[in-house]
Amino acid sequence: MIESLEKSLFTRRQTAFLLSPDVSLAAMLRSLWPPDVLGFTVFEKGGRAIEHLFTDPPDLLIVDNRLTDIPATEVANLVKSENVYRQLPVVMCVDPVDVETPWNWNLIEVDDFLVRPFNPSEVRDRINLTLCRAMRALDANPLSKLPGNTSIIQRIQQLIETGEDFALAYCDLDYFKSYNDKYGFSRGDEVLMMTARLIVNTIRSYHGIMSFVGHVGGDDFVFILPPDKVEDACQRIIAAFDDIVPHFYDPDDRKQGAITSVDREGKARVFPLMAVSIAVVVNTGGRLTHYGEVSSIAMGLKKKAKENPRSCYVIDRRQG
Amino acid sequence: MDDDLKTSVRGEILQVADLPTLPDVLEEVTRLVEDPDASTEAIAKVISRDQVLSAKVLKMVNSPIYGFPGRISSIQHALVLLGFNVIRGIIISTSVFDMMVQNMKGLWEHSLGCATACNIIARRAGFEDPEEYAVAGLLHDLGKVVTAVQLPDLHGAILSTVRDKDVTYLQAEKDVMGFGHDRINAWLARHWGLPPNIREAMARHHAPQLAEFYKPMACVVHLGDFLVRLFEFGNSGDDQTAYLRPEALLELNFKMSDLDKVMDEMAEQFIEVSDVTF
Repeated sequence: MIESLEKSLFTRRQTAFLLSPDVSLAAMLRSLWPPDVLGFTVFEKGGRAIEHLFTDPPDLLIVDNRLTDIPATEVANLVKSENVYRQLPVVMCVDPVDVETPWNWNLIEVDDFLVRPFNPSEVRDRINLTLCRAMRALDANPLSKLPGNTSIIQRIQQLIETGEDFALAYCDLDYFKSYNDKYGFSRGDEVLMMTARLIVNTIRSYHGIMSFVGHVGGDDFVFILPPDKVEDACQRIIAAFDDIVPHFYDPDDRKQGAITSVDREGKARVFPLMAVSIAVVVNTGGRLTHYGEVSSIAMGLKKKAKENPRSCYVIDRRQG
Repeated sequence: MDDDLKTSVRGEILQVADLPTLPDVLEEVTRLVEDPDASTEAIAKVISRDQVLSAKVLKMVNSPIYGFPGRISSIQHALVLLGFNVIRGIIISTSVFDMMVQNMKGLWEHSLGCATACNIIARRAGFEDPEEYAVAGLLHDLGKVVTAVQLPDLHGAILSTVRDKDVTYLQAEKDVMGFGHDRINAWLARHWGLPPNIREAMARHHAPQLAEFYKPMACVVHLGDFLVRLFEFGNSGDDQTAYLRPEALLELNFKMSDLDKVMDEMAEQFIEVSDVTF
């Protein structure tokens, strides 16, 4: 069954390049998705496609091993060796004879492969899966594995559109930078991992309700809860954070309750132990209508929360 | 010395394998984990009664998977960071003592008593986070559990050596295996990635003067072990009077009057602990 974009797996139209001299393959692929869901641009020669690939990369690249002018593996490696294109999912099409001897997938960094004769429904789902997997992998924060900005924005926009009441909490750490500077980034990462676990477990402990945790990046995290739960969650996160974070300091610094590190001007300065600041935007009665409003209110509140060197939360409860 | 520890007698090998826990503790934790209103404090309190379950939880949270190895030494913190789903997983994969219960009951009470004593001593000495000292006290004889479970024949030989030669359990272990539970502790703690303070206290509770980095914690456990034996609360495998290292009292800045006060408090709390029905 062919579905429209609204009901499809993807949030916007996907584009794909097919590099193959096989006309029947192109025809089959084009028959599997309506063009407004997944559109194909077909190149019979590999060479011509490469410039397009670099200037206007698609969401998916399908390379046929039957290419005559350039080896399919070389096209794949060209794409995967550039960090800008590395996330682009690449699917290789092969004939059974091609894979009679094992391939070294460390050298040919494709994401999946399809073997002739093609089974259309399998091809459809393998490619859907490849695209979904790439979206998940692309948006997950590499450190915490939590959903990143794209998912966060999508979730907020979705809640706004369905008109549900929600509270969005924006958390960040005070004095994280000085900790990172003094102890090094690998211990800084430990603190971020701890913070991520702590927030996730606190939010998940509210059973059977709508909730979400995302990692904006660095020491910035976001969580969403129903408005009546958010204050309790802030208090619990702050209590647990303040209790646990001293254990990530060396015993002497911990005893002193402060570290000596360099400030932005390069001067040695004494910094308190890290604290967590939480800014909460409550959206009730459809007061807010766009993601941008939510984030700009949150940023304003964050400044207020940051004025307090201790862990604290600030809630915006303006009614619409 | 990686995954195994080889004994000198008959070349038998101790492995880092699954250790069983007490059925009553497990039941209680299972019930709490399924209860949506249960708090991590309540669950931590029950888990802190079982040295094997506590060790598992700490092992898990300090594993490199979570990204902060060797940092967490409190059960309460571990639960906050692991979350209920992981705790559920630990519970599912935990076997229970069956035949062992009677045999190990005395050791379990001894460990629980030592944990209580360590908490009291650490607070009296003015240390932060007395709960961590309690964890070290709870785990100080874990090596004995490992031998009992994995090498029951050697465990039997150790117990009869204690009886026949009238030596301490530690000495009997050395006679039979070539090393004591202090070394098994060090090996386990390192293999499981437990925090260095807990590891050193587990490894040095018989010789706290040799502790390198966390001498106060080793001294607290040493003293806790001594006092809980004095009370004859539980049984750690022998009925010898333990030797109290004077260095431990010096390190903690304790006078005899401090010991009196600690013992008074222990007496009070042991009545409560005895009320815990299993």
